[in-house]
Amino acid sequence: MGSAGSYGVGTGNSGAYMTEIAEPIRFEEEIRSLIQARFDAPPVSGGSFTALLGLSANQAVGLLHEPGAGEVSASAAASSPTGLGHPLGWSPTFPSNAGLAERAASFPVFAAADSPASSSGGRPSPQLKAEPSDSDSSPPLPVPIDKPRRPAKRKDCEKQKAKGPAKKLKTAEEHTEDDQLPYVHVRARRGQATDSHSLAERARREKINARMKLLQELVPGCSKITGTALVLDEIINHVQSLQRQVEFLSMRLAAVTPRIDFGGLDSFLMAECGPLAASNGRGEVALDPVSWSSDPAPGTGQRTDLRPSQQSSTAWVYPYGLINHGTSLFGYGAANSVCMILFNSSYPVLYKFSCSYSNNNFDLCS
Amino acid sequence: MQATKSFERAFLRQLLRVFRLSAVSYKSMSLQERKSAIKLSADVAMASARGSRKWTRGLIAKLSEEDEHRSFLRLILGTEYERLTKPCHGSWKIPRSKKIVRRSLRVCSRRKNNLRAPHGFKSSVLARTLVEKRTHALKRLVPGGESLDGYSLLDEALDYVISLRAQADLMQKLLTTFEASKLSALSKCTLPERKASFVGK
Repeated sequence: MGSAGSYGVGTGNSGAYMTEIAEPIRFEEEIRSLIQARFDAPPVSGGSFTALLGLSANQAVGLLHEPGAGEVSASAAASSPTGLGHPLGWSPTFPSNAGLAERAASFPVFAAADSPASSSGGRPSPQLKAEPSDSDSSPPLPVPIDKPRRPAKRKDCEKQKAKGPAKKLKTAEEHTEDDQLPYVHVRARRGQATDSHSLAERARREKINARMKLLQELVPGCSKITGTALVLDEIINHVQSLQRQVEFLSMRLAAVTPRIDFGGLDSFLMAECGPLAASNGRGEVALDPVSWSSDPAPGTGQRTDLRPSQQSSTAWVYPYGLINHGTSLFGYGAANSVCMILFNSSYPVLYKFSCSYSNNNFDLCS
Repeated sequence: MQATKSFERAFLRQLLRVFRLSAVSYKSMSLQERKSAIKLSADVAMASARGSRKWTRGLIAKLSEEDEHRSFLRLILGTEYERLTKPCHGSWKIPRSKKIVRRSLRVCSRRKNNLRAPHGFKSSVLARTLVEKRTHALKRLVPGGESLDGYSLLDEALDYVISLRAQADLMQKLLTTFEASKLSALSKCTLPERKASFVGK
């Protein structure tokens, strides 16, 4: 099962992966700048790899940064002799698409590293992992094979990975002066396979790891945990606790609801908010730190919350009249009006409720 | 990562609407019935506010399993109900023979183990089993998660967690609001004084 397999591999290497995320950013920029500079790549000639590239550029970019897996290299080593059968003219090419850069940037792997990458994006260094076009020398594909085939041990792989980027950077700088090449040889990491299957697997794993990172940020206390299984544990616990919380809250609401006079609630809202709307603009409202909307800065949020209530002061009048005329309070019209009030003023009503009553420290207009 | 304001607003709107519509019947229910009715309405409001996602469909499908809920759902959601219950493109399960699937899984796992674990006990196998167990548990938790693969499962779980958190927050605030208004209803005599101090400040 692909997903399980990818999880298994990811578990072992997640530690190594985390520390290396800084490295791939530079390469991604290099590739992006290269792609932007080149506009007339010859059409792709054969090879499943190019089809893969044509299929999804994001994955292709991600492939170059994939941390190696011991198991993968072992299987790749077994299957690489077949890979040598590629013709010499075989070359992977990035599709000549300037939009590739944007797609590469939107690749989820770089979600966390997006700001540094995008801020320094477009760096003009035309470094690339490329061989000179007139390479009578062996194409890049056999290069991983020339290196001594190591047993599929994780430690060795990590050592290789540590050396790999440095080595590639050196060779890249060697070719800096070269003119724009007609095609790009994509060089895999040292000791890794360029088999299309393993590449696809690696791309999938990249996607999954990116999602795992997002979930880790979401669940509190999960960012320190390494290892897929433990992170999944935390996620499951969090979901269960949230579900239990919702059930508990619904029980409490059920206890409160029968004694709620929805009509009374309406008139209370009107009564409380009428004078406030009249006296708005005077000073700050000390709002509860628990803010309703997702405002990160409650200080600034307060000001903006007051202003809409000024503009919507006319909105108060209408429902006030509505209530006074004794219209049916269970109709949708009343609900609409209450909702309108709440929305127009971004729920300062609820703010004030929680401030003034439940917390006993309401400090309205100064 | 936070829920968007439009989501929260739509959620609140739906929830209040449901409360108004069913407030009459709330008086004649027992506590347990009210609790399940409120939970149902909260779930429906959350799903309808979120729109069309795999987990919302799964949730609504799960809720519509009982006939009495189905009419309630139809009332609340209106035309959206038909749209949401229609099977979307990704969720059609291809009918597979269990025997063949089992056999192929066995062959696949054996091949994998032979290729990757020729020598003795591999930690990755253990890690894989642990992760598989947890993946199944997560699939059971997230509504509609049974038929999702690894990546979409994580995607839906992410969305679901955000919405659940927003739901809990909203219900908490609604609760404090209701309790506060109940207090004020009890202490109506002090209301004018409060109003005066309100305005005077």
